[in-house]
Amino acid sequence: MANELKFLVVDDFSTMRRIVRNLLKEIGYSEADEAEDGVVALNKLRNSHFDFVVSDINMPNMNGFQLLGEIKKDDKLKHLPVLMVTAEARKEDIVLAAQQGAAGYIVKPFTKATLEDKVNLILTKLGMK
Amino acid sequence: MSAGTSPGSAAVTTDLSQGVHQRIGMLTRQLHDSLNGLGLTDQVKVWAGEIPDAKSRLSYIARLTGEAAEKVLNNVDQAKAQHDYIAAETRRIGALIVKDPVAAVAKGHVMNFITDVEEATKHIDKNLTDIMMAQDFHDLTGQVISKVVNLAASIEQQLVQLLIVTAPADPVVKPAETPVTTQTTTFEVHEHPVLEGPVVNPEGNPDVVKSQSEVDDLLASLGF
Repeated sequence: MANELKFLVVDDFSTMRRIVRNLLKEIGYSEADEAEDGVVALNKLRNSHFDFVVSDINMPNMNGFQLLGEIKKDDKLKHLPVLMVTAEARKEDIVLAAQQGAAGYIVKPFTKATLEDKVNLILTKLGMK
Repeated sequence: MSAGTSPGSAAVTTDLSQGVHQRIGMLTRQLHDSLNGLGLTDQVKVWAGEIPDAKSRLSYIARLTGEAAEKVLNNVDQAKAQHDYIAAETRRIGALIVKDPVAAVAKGHVMNFITDVEEATKHIDKNLTDIMMAQDFHDLTGQVISKVVNLAASIEQQLVQLLIVTAPADPVVKPAETPVTTQTTTFEVHEHPVLEGPVVNPEGNPDVVKSQSEVDDLLASLGF
């Protein structure tokens, strides 16, 4: 069941983590945890089960690109879809994210409909929905 | 009495003026040499470029916070109107049910009320979601504020360093020691120089996307 999928929301701003979690709940995904940077996220990913990662890019300690790289290097985690949700709007960042294996890219500020579309599109592509 | 009108005092004023002028000239030269010596001239050019950028960033913050406040107030107004409507309709239907319960149901008043309430709650739910989404300004402005603070801190740090280096050899008042004296001339303005954060002025910049549809088009061109 798609609704039982567990999400990890990674963003250094607690407001944004809360917004994304609430939106995920509104679109039917109430199972979510959060992390304030890539280091915390990686630790949680390695010690618990998650199905989907929604990550910011510009974060302290370990940014979203580094987190994405670590996830894709890890045999146990590389299958995880990672949706980047970020204020980084440079084309080279978008291309880099795609090259590194991001499943999708959303530029802030975004709408509920955009998040819903991207999450559902990724899950459908991966046969998880 | 005016002391500045005698020929003697005019000469003193002229001497003083020349002295001040010479002193300013010396200080300017000293500042110029110090900046060169510290390798700061390039940095000053960077600051000169970044200060207008800081102004744009502050304008961006003002705009985003203003828009967020406007969005919240508009949605609260709409939600309150829906809420008032539900409250009034509940009172009206309550009175009809008390008066004649069978007629209230048979004439469709109760069913209409249920439909109306369901519709109103959908509107209120959207208003609440929009209010929540309006809070995203915190993230975007926070990143921009961080950049402006970094710039201010960098300028302050380098100016303090400059002050120390250019201070007279035997100063009358010794400046208080600060941790800044241990700084080298390496400049780290941004924590993540690779990442730019929110784009404050996307217009006319071909290197950035201006909307989600441009992101989607770019990813589609890459086969996503």
